[in-house]
Amino acid sequence: MKAFKTLLKTEIKLSLRDMNMPIFAIIMPFVVTVLIGLIYGDKAAYPGAPYTFLQQSFGALVTIAICAGGVMGLPLVVAGYRQKKILKRFRTTPTGPVLLLGVQLVLYALYAIASLVLTFLAAWLLFGFHFWGSPLLFTGTYLLVMLSMFSIGLLVGGVARDEKIASILASVLYFPMLVFSGATLPYEVMPPVLQRFADVLPLTQGIKLLKATTLGLPLGSVWFPLVLLAGVAVVCTVLAVRFFRWE
Amino acid sequence: MEPVIQLEHLCKSYGGVPALQDLSLTVQRGEIFGLLGPNGAGKSTTVECALGTRQPDKGQAHILGLSPITQRKVLFQQVGVQFQEAYYPEKIRVGELCEMTSSLYKTAAPTAPLLAQFGLKGKEKQMVGDLSGGQKQALFIVLALLPMPSVVFLDELTTGLDTRARRAVWRHLAKLKEQGLTIFLTSHFMDEVEALCDRICVLQKGRPVFTGTVQQALTQTHCAHMEDAYLCLAGETQEGQDESI
Repeated sequence: MKAFKTLLKTEIKLSLRDMNMPIFAIIMPFVVTVLIGLIYGDKAAYPGAPYTFLQQSFGALVTIAICAGGVMGLPLVVAGYRQKKILKRFRTTPTGPVLLLGVQLVLYALYAIASLVLTFLAAWLLFGFHFWGSPLLFTGTYLLVMLSMFSIGLLVGGVARDEKIASILASVLYFPMLVFSGATLPYEVMPPVLQRFADVLPLTQGIKLLKATTLGLPLGSVWFPLVLLAGVAVVCTVLAVRFFRWE
Repeated sequence: MEPVIQLEHLCKSYGGVPALQDLSLTVQRGEIFGLLGPNGAGKSTTVECALGTRQPDKGQAHILGLSPITQRKVLFQQVGVQFQEAYYPEKIRVGELCEMTSSLYKTAAPTAPLLAQFGLKGKEKQMVGDLSGGQKQALFIVLALLPMPSVVFLDELTTGLDTRARRAVWRHLAKLKEQGLTIFLTSHFMDEVEALCDRICVLQKGRPVFTGTVQQALTQTHCAHMEDAYLCLAGETQEGQDESI
């Protein structure tokens, strides 16, 4: 526990000094939220829609920080530590992959939650955003989406040989999810073929759930997204710890 | 006599090229053991096989009777390591790196006195990356000693240190040895080896060509100084050097 706390404290300091994460996980989603608010104001999501465009987008906006941290930041830091042989030094101490990866997980969770709070405050205070759904369901869904996305990052960071390979893998995973999941392009305007492709991306299912829980819409068939998200989380985390590479 | 480090028939090759061939050695408690040899003779490979950061092709390594691979977490509570190169995260301060290292162990020595003893007094706030080569080297010796280990591995112990700092390191290690610390070091400086080491092993192309005390090395080679004895044992005799020039 002492090791966990000290490592987390140090990693937070290092990450803030680096400034990448404050920009991509905190400032960027905030700016996008403000832009959507300025452009669409309180326009309805589509003609006759009972909720605004901003309300519809909220579920997607809060995943930007999850992806920036969990799918980009986390694997790059871990792979960078491997490349700089910092993990090799850790290997000759009484610490293990669970502690090292756990610290990273909590670090990026803190970023994501900070961004969630900031996005909510911006939408609420600046643009009169109303949250209609169940806060409990939303929080549960949010945590599941986060675990699922982070586990993908853990796997990439745990096994990628160096920072370059991690960066390629992370980009291959990050950008299609960002573009096709509804985080940027609205899912509703995609042609059916693209929607079917997007549906297998765990982030798409996560955003659908977040949208529904934000707006208090009926969840419909939740089993497929739940099983997909939880399955990804379990499989990737187990693989990341099992096949963790020190060097 | 209590064996602390036991290496048995270690063999390791990289891409078919042998780096280590049938190396066996035992280091007793409280001994300072020096592993010598020219660059590429297999010193770092030996250290890495002993620490389990490399898996030997054949043979096995035990420290304090524990396997560095399967009993890693128990073993490394009691072992300090300084690698030849300094590995640290970018933009980390000296104090932060010390605090982080200490937190990994059940018990750790207080940081400030150790830093002071190695000439790093008051450097806690400085970035590790901004330290001079010698200061970095000293810092990584401090990090190896922080867990108050019973065994310490020091790869190229004083490379980059100035004369005064080297003497300070020697004095400190000699004191720790009296308290029962076992030290395994590699070095290119024969004055250091003469001053510190109880026993040495000389490697040549991955094979041990001499194991014994400094005195035995001098007697065997009919040399007055360890440097001459070393060159003779490692197959880098003065004559050979001259011919190649």
